[in-house]
Amino acid sequence: MMTDRTFPDEMLMRFADGELDADEMAVIEKAMEADDDLVARVAMFIETKAEAQAALRPLLEEPVPEALKAAVEGMVAAKRAEAAKVETAPATVVPFEARKQARPAVRRWTLPLAASIAAVVGGLAGYWAAGEGGPQPGRLSVAGVVDSTIGGALGSVAAGEEVTLAAGDRFRAIATFRDDADNVCREFELDSAGRSTVIAVACNAAGEWRISFAVSAPGDAGGYAPASSTEALDAYLSAIEAGEPLSAEEEAAALAGLPKTR
Amino acid sequence: MTERGVEDQLVDFLPNLRRFAISLCRSREVADDLVQTACERALANAQSFQPGTRFDAWMFRILRNLWIDEVRKRKTAGPQEDIDAQPDLVGVSGEREAEARLTLKSVAEAIDGLSEDQREVLLLVCVEELSYKEAAEVIGAPIGTVMSRLARARRNLAEAAGISAPPERSAVVKGAG
Repeated sequence: MMTDRTFPDEMLMRFADGELDADEMAVIEKAMEADDDLVARVAMFIETKAEAQAALRPLLEEPVPEALKAAVEGMVAAKRAEAAKVETAPATVVPFEARKQARPAVRRWTLPLAASIAAVVGGLAGYWAAGEGGPQPGRLSVAGVVDSTIGGALGSVAAGEEVTLAAGDRFRAIATFRDDADNVCREFELDSAGRSTVIAVACNAAGEWRISFAVSAPGDAGGYAPASSTEALDAYLSAIEAGEPLSAEEEAAALAGLPKTR
Repeated sequence: MTERGVEDQLVDFLPNLRRFAISLCRSREVADDLVQTACERALANAQSFQPGTRFDAWMFRILRNLWIDEVRKRKTAGPQEDIDAQPDLVGVSGEREAEARLTLKSVAEAIDGLSEDQREVLLLVCVEELSYKEAAEVIGAPIGTVMSRLARARRNLAEAAGISAPPERSAVVKGAG
């Protein structure tokens, strides 16, 4: 029984598992013809594999718990939805970028992002909020009618120009466009000493200017709202399907054609 | 098969992944958590799966790494049972050997009784039918390590469960291991 000792266990195991090349296989096969002990050693490796498979087959046949299956299916569905979104993204991103670039007042502000975190849409309490009795002179309220001071500026100041209102606030017209209902809308900024700069959109319907969007950029913004405020604005403009900004001539014609403000 | 992404194969693969997890950590409860976390991990890193390579090996590696992390955490967390402290039946006294032969275990029990190192290579190669090379990649060890552990695992299994272990060979076999 000397022959089998020339074959280490691991080699016999590789033989049993089909991990040897053809030449090595042939050598062992030949040796096994004359050596029962070698056959028994190889058999051990073959049988342990078969027995281990048989022993663990019931685990494979066991139904996967519903909760686990559902959780994984949910994750897969979420992953697919995410992938689908990425695939369709170019269709929505391109016009958005194009529209953004077409805006006449592309601002490259360097204020730290943190300065704009307090940007508020809608709930412009205090300074900007309309009182119980309605809009106060020189004040804005979201979804409210602007007073005649701002209304006058909205109806007359060309995009790119700035005027000082009676209260000392500076009004800057940024752009004019039409919303999805074809109303004339204006993007503008309003700031006053020591107060926030507000970036806002007002649309004119039936002679009334109403604020539909406003973001306040706190701090000494120096008369400019930080970039992330304009990101919020862009998102809003996208949502209302704002048209391209009007040219200076179109703007003048649109403003001239508005019903008289009250 | 090679065309399919991780999302397409994951659900169908759950029974195998779960079996591997149960055999590895010997607890259905722990295994199911492990499988879920592994699936989460796999989907998050789906881009790292190379089409054309074995999906099962890739999944086993993710799950096995999670389990190793878990074992490490348990070990450092306090005086818990050392998961690797399973008795290695090779090299025990003749008395113990005789006792083992008298009270033969079922194959499943014998697999459970293997050390962690031996059990995982046995599962990967014998049960899930990975090649030695693939198993080496799953456990992050050289192929030689896979072979020596696997050979030991099978000798131990044969002995514990009474699978065709020719008694007259056992002394020499043990000497080889």
